[in-house]
Amino acid sequence: MLKKILILLLLSVASLNAIEEQNIQKVMDTKVRQVLDVLKNKTLSQQQKDTKNVRTVDEVFDYNIMSQISLGKRWKSLTKNEKTQFSKAFEKKIKHSYLDKLRLYNNEKVIIKKLKKIKPTRITLETQVIGVDDTYKVIYLFYKKKQNNQWYIYDVELVGVSIIQTYRKQFSEFLKTKSVNQLIKSL
Amino acid sequence: MKYLLFLLTITLLTFQGCSTKQATSELNPEQVQTDSNTSDTFQQNTPDDQGTNNHIEEFEEEFSEQETDTTTDPFNSYNRWMTSFNDKVIIYALNPVSEGYAYVIPQPLRVGISNFLDNLKFPVRFVNNLLQGKFQNSSDELERFIINSTVGLAGLMDPATNVMTTPIPAHNEDFGQTLGHYGMGSGYHIVLPFLGPSNVRDILGITGDMYLSPLVNVRGLENYKIPKNFGQSVGIYTLYLINRTSLHLGEYESLKEDAIDLYPFLKDIYEQKRISDIAE
Repeated sequence: MLKKILILLLLSVASLNAIEEQNIQKVMDTKVRQVLDVLKNKTLSQQQKDTKNVRTVDEVFDYNIMSQISLGKRWKSLTKNEKTQFSKAFEKKIKHSYLDKLRLYNNEKVIIKKLKKIKPTRITLETQVIGVDDTYKVIYLFYKKKQNNQWYIYDVELVGVSIIQTYRKQFSEFLKTKSVNQLIKSL
Repeated sequence: MKYLLFLLTITLLTFQGCSTKQATSELNPEQVQTDSNTSDTFQQNTPDDQGTNNHIEEFEEEFSEQETDTTTDPFNSYNRWMTSFNDKVIIYALNPVSEGYAYVIPQPLRVGISNFLDNLKFPVRFVNNLLQGKFQNSSDELERFIINSTVGLAGLMDPATNVMTTPIPAHNEDFGQTLGHYGMGSGYHIVLPFLGPSNVRDILGITGDMYLSPLVNVRGLENYKIPKNFGQSVGIYTLYLINRTSLHLGEYESLKEDAIDLYPFLKDIYEQKRISDIAE
């Protein structure tokens, strides 16, 4: 009983403090641990794991800005309705892809390495994923949102490959020959 | 006492609920809007759009700077064909074989084989770190090789990473990265059969590394090499590939799901990764 309350206490502290500069590292540390705990928990069904993990990362990922960056210059030419539809579809795609990767979890360990302030409005957090035969570098890229001075993730770099950059490339190729509506459908 | 704990839990849960709700509405106005009806959406959308415009311009600059080059791809149609060939090899041959292999051979042994083969490729990493003037990395590699070859039972284990109080990190460098380090551009993208995405620079790199790696047979260097002919080299590479895939089952399929069009997707990932490898 006491243990449960302690855990609850920890969890609430983490979400209360969400994403101010000085506690990016702490918040991410807790979040990574939360996700790993869920993945290791054998009593949860796959669907329960998925919903829990999405909830954990939802408040630090800025899906809205991700979808805008991924479309690049084309974003401005979209109608309001298309923007909403696209953002929604993109968010779904990102989440699906993220959960799909988590399903491959095979006892990897995660180490939070270092926080770097690149610009007043950009921070990167380097982490290391230690797998059975290899280690991978995963970098979370944060930006400071002007409206509320809070930090959100706008991109993730896996072994040097930017996820949003990869989508940008794909979308711009796709839109050379096809329409935005077709793109929304294909997501 | 129990009552008190219960009360505490309820209070905490309530607060937690509050904070998450707040965070999401700040974070993601559009997502929240989509739940409400559409006429609201238009009104709320406008101020948010203006707010993010500044952000977007900064991001536009940041991301277009880092973009990989796609303009020249003379081997496009060959590359596409080879990508789908490799894809079929992976899906219909490599994956099923690796699954069977993983079923028969326990994971610790497969990790051992992976360590063993990696350890033998020490000369490639050592020399390329030296060539790039990364002397600390070379000495790390040398230390790793000595420790893992002896205490690590001929490289089957990796005590340099797992046992040492301060682990000695591996520094993977190849000749393609060395060429890139000295400013050579990647050249045209070329997809190789069985080996996957590559480019002109990295093919030169692979050729150079073949002389260094004891795992590839080169005529005239028989004393240094483990395989005595081309067939044996292919055998070792096949084992390496199956063993590696068996430790990463499902990853290729999962990656593939993110692709709208497989060839440009794999090409972009490969080029991005190489750029970051070279910069390291």
